[in-house]
Amino acid sequence: MLFFQFLINGFQVGALYALTAVGFSLIFGSTKVFHFAHGATFTIAAYLFYYTFSVAGLHWLLATLIATSAAVLFGVAVDRYVYAPIQRHEGSYFTVFVASFGIVIIVQNLTGILFGRSFVSTSTPLSNSLQLAPGLFVSPLASIAIVCAIVFFAGAHYFLMRTRLGIGLRALSENADLVRAYGQNPRQLSMVVFAFGSLLVVPSAIFTSALSGLNPAIGHHVMLISMAATIVGGVGSVRGAAFAGVLLGLAENLSLLYVGPQWSEAVPFVVLFLFILFRPAGFFGRLVSS
Amino acid sequence: MKFLGKFWAGLCLAAVIGGAGTGAAHAQDIKIGAVFPLSGPNGSYGDIFMSGSNLAVKHINADHILDGKLAISYEDSQGTPQRGVVGMNKLVTVEKVPFVLSSFTGVLKATAPIAQRTQTPILNGSGIGPDLAELGSYFWSVIPYANQEIEAMIPYLVKKRNLKRFVLVYIDDSLGQALRKQMEESLPKMGGELVSAMSIPATLQQFSSIAAKIRSANPDVVYIASWGAQQLQIVKQLRDNGVTQQLASYSAFAIPEMDSLPEARGTLATAQYINLDAQDPITKRFVADYRAAHGKTPPVYSTNYYNGVRLFALLAAQLQKKGKPITGANLLEQRNETKTFDLVGGPLTFETGGKLIAPIQVKENDGAGGKIIAVIPAQ
Repeated sequence: MLFFQFLINGFQVGALYALTAVGFSLIFGSTKVFHFAHGATFTIAAYLFYYTFSVAGLHWLLATLIATSAAVLFGVAVDRYVYAPIQRHEGSYFTVFVASFGIVIIVQNLTGILFGRSFVSTSTPLSNSLQLAPGLFVSPLASIAIVCAIVFFAGAHYFLMRTRLGIGLRALSENADLVRAYGQNPRQLSMVVFAFGSLLVVPSAIFTSALSGLNPAIGHHVMLISMAATIVGGVGSVRGAAFAGVLLGLAENLSLLYVGPQWSEAVPFVVLFLFILFRPAGFFGRLVSS
Repeated sequence: MKFLGKFWAGLCLAAVIGGAGTGAAHAQDIKIGAVFPLSGPNGSYGDIFMSGSNLAVKHINADHILDGKLAISYEDSQGTPQRGVVGMNKLVTVEKVPFVLSSFTGVLKATAPIAQRTQTPILNGSGIGPDLAELGSYFWSVIPYANQEIEAMIPYLVKKRNLKRFVLVYIDDSLGQALRKQMEESLPKMGGELVSAMSIPATLQQFSSIAAKIRSANPDVVYIASWGAQQLQIVKQLRDNGVTQQLASYSAFAIPEMDSLPEARGTLATAQYINLDAQDPITKRFVADYRAAHGKTPPVYSTNYYNGVRLFALLAAQLQKKGKPITGANLLEQRNETKTFDLVGGPLTFETGGKLIAPIQVKENDGAGGKIIAVIPAQ
């Protein structure tokens, strides 16, 4: 029974990891910007949902709308007012990374000032697990998270594969000059990808606020998992990031059958190293030779 | 125009000289240091510590206990040894403070050698790792160590509550290891049993599968040895994931966020017992002013750092009276000479080696600051 419990927990945690990682992977794959501030987007969405729903008492739909709007606006603003000026002045890849890292620190400190520096969580009866069988507990909210993840991935897949804008985004990752030649504006596409990538992190942020709770430094943890999932899934592959997120969640939880909890957090990174050694292109990535 | 330029230059010069003059007027001012976690996931502890130390400074200056004004220079350790060492070095080498308040077992252990080398006493009001007792003569504690808390909690749970099967969830640091060792030794003697001990990394945030392991061990009580935001996550996720057994912990549970966490109702935690109902003027004034400022009973940590600052002021005042400079070595000499001090909760006596023996209280979380359900005398 413990195996089934860990399996279910693995899917629950993996769904959250996947939702978190997909947005980062999409942004990184399309724009080649190492958007470390994706963790800050997560933090903003999570805390705003917590505040509007749990503290201000707004309806969850309105709270979700506010959190989503803030996340999308933040992602677009970072691209437009931080990354774009650096890129315009031919700032290096590293400069963009440092700026992005700085944003995470600023958001972390502002969050601490505004919402307190300790743990907060969104209270909802949906986070209380129900006993389905002796020794087998499942939280309704975690099940909703799994369904939500599937819906979001299907939506993202359709958007990227079937719509003109989605195809443009994919083309941006391949050849920005060609995108320009076809009359599309890479700058505008970049803005869309930041908006869409930031939108994708919102469900994970909301579920995390209720399932495991928040602290202002949560953005760092989010980014560690996002980076691992992006590499394991194959850089730039949304489908790969989704699969990798679930794989990492499963590995972290199922490992408890064999090793102590002390090592469970390291297990996703063992998986990452194994992929780097034996399948560096990841699940769905392509090997590129220079 | 030239005149105006000279006028402004003169004004600036006057301001500089005036400023220097003002500084000279406060040559007797005394500054001590504090290395507290002021940001990061442990930042809320810093708020609690400072609420006590700042109130002490206010009282000491109002009472003119010292010849000169007392102030505290704060450094942020974030609860990490690396940042703690940086802060401690800055305080003793740049600010040249004679006395430092500090916290957190890891930080204390990392900074104690600096204290010993520079002869600067460190006052610990929150770190409870039993191995802190070995940190030398410049390491002083106004809080009993974890072994005392465990020695009080285990008999209470086993004998009074008839809870015999224990699961320990602990961070694998020196404090966690000491607690585990203590449980392994003490539980069998009391008729209890440590059925499982699960070490966790300090950064772990997902506990649903650990909850499953705890359920499968079928304990009577789950003892949590974590700190900061993580212990709140543990309590919430254990309760959310079907762990209904009694939860218990040590004094790190004494943070306001635990009070406001609905899942934490009914949890038990030990802490040093300080008699805040004592009728001596020091205790009455501290409790009244703390309540007026914060609207609640002072937590143990606030009281400890109030006492820490007050202890320094009493020692420094005695040195000033003797005409001796306020240095770390002189403070230590004076502490060994005086031994007993009038502090909040009554007179406090230091054992040899700067260790404190105190009664321990068991508190139940009721969402309103906690209810003391047992007081175990000092052993």
